[in-house]
Amino acid sequence: MNAPDQVNSFADQRHKVSNTQQKVIARGESGDLLAGEFQRRVAGVAGCLLQRPEQRWALVCDDTPWFAAGFLALAQARKTLILPQTGGPESAAEAQAAAVLTDQPARFPSFASVDVTAVPDEAGAPVSTDLDDALPVELYTSGSTGRPKRVDKLLGQLRVEVTALEARWGQALGDALVLGSVPHHHLYGLLFRVLWPLWAGRPLYAPVCAQAHEFKAAARRFGRCLIVSSPAFLTRVTDFAMLQPPDAFAALFSSGAPLPAATAAKIAGEMGRAAIEVYGSTETGGIAWRTWEPDKGQTAWQPFAEVETALLGATPGLLRVRSPWTWKADWMDTGDLAQMLPQRRFLLCGRADSVLKVEDKRVSLAEMEQRLVAHGLVSEARLLVLKDKRSSVGAVVVLSAAGRRQLGQTGTRGVRKALRDGLRAWYDPVLVPRKWRFLEAMPDNAMGKIEQAGLQALFTERR
Amino acid sequence: MNTLIDELKQLIINALDLEDVTPADIDPHAPLFGDGLGLDSIDALELGVAVQKRYHITLDSTSAETRQHFYSVANLAKFISAQQAS
Repeated sequence: MNAPDQVNSFADQRHKVSNTQQKVIARGESGDLLAGEFQRRVAGVAGCLLQRPEQRWALVCDDTPWFAAGFLALAQARKTLILPQTGGPESAAEAQAAAVLTDQPARFPSFASVDVTAVPDEAGAPVSTDLDDALPVELYTSGSTGRPKRVDKLLGQLRVEVTALEARWGQALGDALVLGSVPHHHLYGLLFRVLWPLWAGRPLYAPVCAQAHEFKAAARRFGRCLIVSSPAFLTRVTDFAMLQPPDAFAALFSSGAPLPAATAAKIAGEMGRAAIEVYGSTETGGIAWRTWEPDKGQTAWQPFAEVETALLGATPGLLRVRSPWTWKADWMDTGDLAQMLPQRRFLLCGRADSVLKVEDKRVSLAEMEQRLVAHGLVSEARLLVLKDKRSSVGAVVVLSAAGRRQLGQTGTRGVRKALRDGLRAWYDPVLVPRKWRFLEAMPDNAMGKIEQAGLQALFTERR
Repeated sequence: MNTLIDELKQLIINALDLEDVTPADIDPHAPLFGDGLGLDSIDALELGVAVQKRYHITLDSTSAETRQHFYSVANLAKFISAQQAS
């Protein structure tokens, strides 16, 4: 395999496509964004950025087309590209961004910022549109410790990974409009909803779809589409038959966690097209894919051609991977247990560590406990994952003196709202605890250790 | 319309399993997501399903329209009564 050559030929191809000023970059309900206008935006913002002394820039845009323009502008201006964990100023500060490129400048009053939507065209000197493959890109995810984990990539690694996706599926996708239900600032959405469409010349759909019928409405209005979604979303779709006929959708991608077998079967049966599941992580990027076959059900995971796999220890062992898009193209632990099958395929057999997921989103409970205590209203906090109709985080807290004072003024509702609002600055809303138990003291057992079963029981007993 | 608004508040509390929230706590004009009631993307999906089931309507709108319909309890009530009338 010769990755750099692939990237170059792919980039040349992209260059030809984007020369057509009329090419549609993004579609939205208020109209199309054409390549000519998009390139003017990118050039204007890049020119403006070149005149700025700051090197580390957080990119925070609510709007996906502006995010895409900001991404390319930062890359052309050779700035370090930071994608903070959430869209708030706290995450940008924690990522040690020197400045913020955003379409929400009011959210960042204490930062040097550039409003990506308000830069005049030709704001600065002309900028080379060549992208530097060695440019650093920083993503953030939850680790297993008390701190968010920084994941380093190079721009060229993102390009090679997109090239691999295009080589694997591009032909079948044609010029389908890219719809999605996942955010663009985490790796899966960044690759599948933004960079892949942008670099392969496929139009992207601007809004994030919140409900399945929006896919149908977009396909009816714009023609052939493809869907970028996740198990948390797909397991809640009651009717895939509305996403018919099979030709209306070129593909349905799912990533973030394994799709339950029943959901995979339901999609194939009702939609007439099996979902393509992609297995990977922020750290490793894409590793493997699988689909669903009528006689076999879910297939085993098939690594991408560029990905090498190895097992550490006895079977099932710790899965390690190496690819052009792992850091320094070196081996990385996935933290997942796997069992090898013929033809490089493998089965996943659970986690090797204690990393938890709530509705496909990785969460470190230790980190969230520390944030709760840092808030000031809480002296002690224990969090746990609750599994009911949905999975969510439950919080057991002992209030501090300040917390007890607020309790007296506002009751538990006021305290809970203050704590939830505090956490929302750091976490996806899905991860913010929904159920709270306020205790005088933590339930210790005889050994002085807090019992997990005792905590769980607090949420099953009647209040 | 007021009956529908009260019904919807109860539906939201039950379908989304909200603890320590009473219908009186839900301002019909406050945003359901983000700063208001603080619902999340999973709630949006569950609420869409619950509304379709309870009121026998089929959601079929674009993303911007859907955001508008699900912005608040009052908007949702307006949308549902329009659907039922048509």
